[in-house]
Amino acid sequence: MRTWEKLRPYSMVAPAIIVFSLFFIYPIFYMIYLSLFDWNFVSPTKTFVGIQNFKDLLTDPDFRQVLTNTSIYTLLTVTLTTGLALLLALWLNRKSFFHGFVQGAIFSPHIISLVSISLLWSWLMDPEYGLLNWVIGLAGFGKLDWLSHPSTSLVSLVIVAVWKGLGYNTLVFIAGLQSIPPDIYEAASLDRSKPWTTFSKLILPMLSPSIFFLVIINMIGSFQVFETIAIMTQGGPVNSTNTLVYYIYEYGFRFFKIGYASAAGVILLVIVGILTIIYFKLLSNRVHYR
Amino acid sequence: MVKKLTAVTAVAMLMTGVLSACGASGTNTNDAADANANAGTNAGANTDNTTAGADAKPADADASKKIVIKYWYAFGDKIEEAKLHMVDTFNKSQDKIEVVAEHQGNYDDLHAKVQAAFAAGDAPAVTDLEISSTGVFAHSGMLEELTTYAERDKEQLKLDDFNPGLMGNAYVDGKLYGLPFMRSTPILYKNVTMLKDAGLDPAGPKTWDELEEYSRVLKGKGKVGMTVPADIWYYEGLVAQSGGHMLSEDGKSAAFNSPEGVAPVEFWKKLSSEGLIKIPMGDEAGPTADKDWANQLSAFKFGSTAGVTGSLEIAKGNGFEMDTAFMPSNVSYGVPTGGCQLVITSKSSDEEKEAAWEFLKWMTSKENTIYQHKHVGYLPTRISAVESDELKAHFAEFPQFKVAVDQLEFARPRPMENAYPEVAKIIKEAIEKAILDPKVSPQDSLNEAAEKANKLLSK
Repeated sequence: MRTWEKLRPYSMVAPAIIVFSLFFIYPIFYMIYLSLFDWNFVSPTKTFVGIQNFKDLLTDPDFRQVLTNTSIYTLLTVTLTTGLALLLALWLNRKSFFHGFVQGAIFSPHIISLVSISLLWSWLMDPEYGLLNWVIGLAGFGKLDWLSHPSTSLVSLVIVAVWKGLGYNTLVFIAGLQSIPPDIYEAASLDRSKPWTTFSKLILPMLSPSIFFLVIINMIGSFQVFETIAIMTQGGPVNSTNTLVYYIYEYGFRFFKIGYASAAGVILLVIVGILTIIYFKLLSNRVHYR
Repeated sequence: MVKKLTAVTAVAMLMTGVLSACGASGTNTNDAADANANAGTNAGANTDNTTAGADAKPADADASKKIVIKYWYAFGDKIEEAKLHMVDTFNKSQDKIEVVAEHQGNYDDLHAKVQAAFAAGDAPAVTDLEISSTGVFAHSGMLEELTTYAERDKEQLKLDDFNPGLMGNAYVDGKLYGLPFMRSTPILYKNVTMLKDAGLDPAGPKTWDELEEYSRVLKGKGKVGMTVPADIWYYEGLVAQSGGHMLSEDGKSAAFNSPEGVAPVEFWKKLSSEGLIKIPMGDEAGPTADKDWANQLSAFKFGSTAGVTGSLEIAKGNGFEMDTAFMPSNVSYGVPTGGCQLVITSKSSDEEKEAAWEFLKWMTSKENTIYQHKHVGYLPTRISAVESDELKAHFAEFPQFKVAVDQLEFARPRPMENAYPEVAKIIKEAIEKAILDPKVSPQDSLNEAAEKANKLLSK
C-alpha cells in the first residue's frame, strides 16, 4: 500500500513522459548524433565526420544569408503582427455588431490551412495576372514584382504571415483588455489621466503578460516558418527567401544530406533555445502578473 | 463509477469486435496488411485501403495468391491519366499481379517520399525516377540492378530496341538500373498565327540570332519574343547548343563556367535587358511562361514534349495555330533529355521484384510507349514504335509530335552525379543573380557558382 502511494504519481505521469521522450527527447538527441555524420538517410554506412558539418555550415555564405533572412523575417513579422494587433484590439474592444463582425473577419485566416493561404496569395501576388497588381494598376502605380524579385520577396512573405497571424493576436489582446478591471479605468479618469498616459502607464503594463506570450509564440513560429516558403518561393529567387527550416528540409530531403541538415537543425535548436531563455530572463522581470 | 466505466468499456469492446468482424467478412486480403503498412510512414499517402505494404501477405488461405505491389508515380492531369490507364490494363491482362498506383506529387516530392519510405522499410516496389537522380539513388543502394533480368528476358525485352539517345541515364557505372518510360526533351513551341501577323517566316527561328531578330520585330508589335524561366533544364540545352558541357568528363569538376556555358547567360541577360524576352523569377516562373504563351503575350516558349497534347488544346481553344520546332542552335543543335524511368527498389522480396519486373516490361512495351506518346506527347522510347505504321500515320496528321523524336539525334544525357541536384540549385541562383543585377557579369557569377560546385563534386 505504501509503495503504491509512492508510485502512483509516477504511474500517472508515465504515459505523458513516455510519449514526450519518444517523440521529442529521443529525436532531439538522434538529431544531435546525426549531425556528426555524413549520411544520406538510406545508405548502410554512416561516415563519422565530427564537427565538419558545422564548420561547413558556418563558412557557407548561403547559410549566413539564410540566417539573415530568418532574422529579418522574424523581426518584421513579430513587430508588425504584435503592433497591428494591439492597435486593432484597442479599436475593437467594444460591443457592437460591426466590431464583432470585423473581429470575426480578421480572425478567419487563422482557421484556414496555411497551405491554402499560400496558394491563394501566390495567385494574388502574381506579377502579371495577380489581383494585387491589377488593383495597384487601377490606382495608377507601376507593377510590383512581389515574390519574383529578391528585393520584395521576403517582405511579401511577411505580409502573408502578418495577415494570417493578426486575428489570433488581436483576439488574445482583446481578452487581455477585457480582463483589466474597470475600476482601474475609473480611478484613472478620476485622476484626469490623459489617454496616452492611460495607455502607457495602465493598459500596457496590465497587458504585458499577453504581449510577452505573443512575442514568444510569434518569434518561435517565425523562426520555424516553412509552408509558405515551400509553396510560394522554394527559397528563391536567388536564395532571398530561404529560411532555416526550409534550408534543413532542402538539404535533408532534396539533396539527401541528413548529417548536414541535422547540423543546421542543431543550430536552429540552439538559437530558439537562447532566444527563449533571454526573453524569460529579461522580460519576465518586467512583466506584470496579477 | 467503476461499474459504469466497466460497462462503457464492455460496450466499446463489443463494438470493436463487431466492427472487425465486418471488416473480415469483407474479404479483402489487403485489409490486414494495410494496417501494418500504414503504421510505418506516409500516413497521408496510404489512406487508400487497397494499399499493401512491403510485408503484405495474403491473410486468407482461400484467396488466390495474387502478389500486390505498389507503384508510385509523379504528376497529374494527362500524364496521370495515361499512367493509370496502363496500370489498369496491366491488372486486367493477367491474374497473378495486382499493381496499386499512388500519386506522389512532382518529381522532387516523389523522390523525397521514396527516400523516406525506403528508410522506413516501406518503399514501393516500383517507382518513377527522374533521370538525373538515377546516380544518387543507385549509389545509395536503393535500386535493384536490372542487368541480370534484362539478360534473362532479352528476347522479350529487346533492350537494343530502345532509342540509344535515351539510354544514357539508364546505366550507372555500367550497370542497368532503369527502363526509359516517360521520356522527354525540351522543344520550342511557336505561335504561328502571331508570327504571320508580324510578317515573320513561321519556319524560323532556327538560330539564336534569328530568335533575337524575331523578338525585336515582335517587341515592335507590343509583344515579347519569349517568356522563359531560368530553368536548369533549358540552360543545359543552351550550353549544349553552344558546344559546351555542364561538368567535366569525370564529373569531378564544373565546366559550365567555360565560354560555352557563359554564352547562354550573356544571351539571356542581353535580350531580357532590352525587353526582347521576359525571364520571370520565383516559384511561379514556369507557369508564368506557359500563361504568357497561352494568352498570346509571347510568341515562343520552351517546354517539355510532354506538353504537346495540352498545348495543341490551348492553341485551339484560344484560336491560334501552333507549331513545334527544335530549340534554336548557337553553334549546333543540342538538348538534354528529361522525364523519368521506371526502377525497382532493392528492399522488396524476390517475389515482388519478379512481379515488378513483369510490370516494368509491360509499361515500357512498344504498344504502351505508342499509347503514352499519343495521349501525352512524351517520346516514343522504342525504335520499333517510331517506325510503326500507327505512329507514322499519327506524325502525318500531327507533325508537332514528330519534332522531339527527330531532335533526339542531338540529345545528350543529363549529369547524374550525387551532388548534381545541389549543383543545379547553385547554377540556377547564379543565372538569376546575373540576369537581375546589372552590375554582376555572367562570367563572375558562374565562376563563383563553379567554385562552390567544385567543392561538392570533388567529394
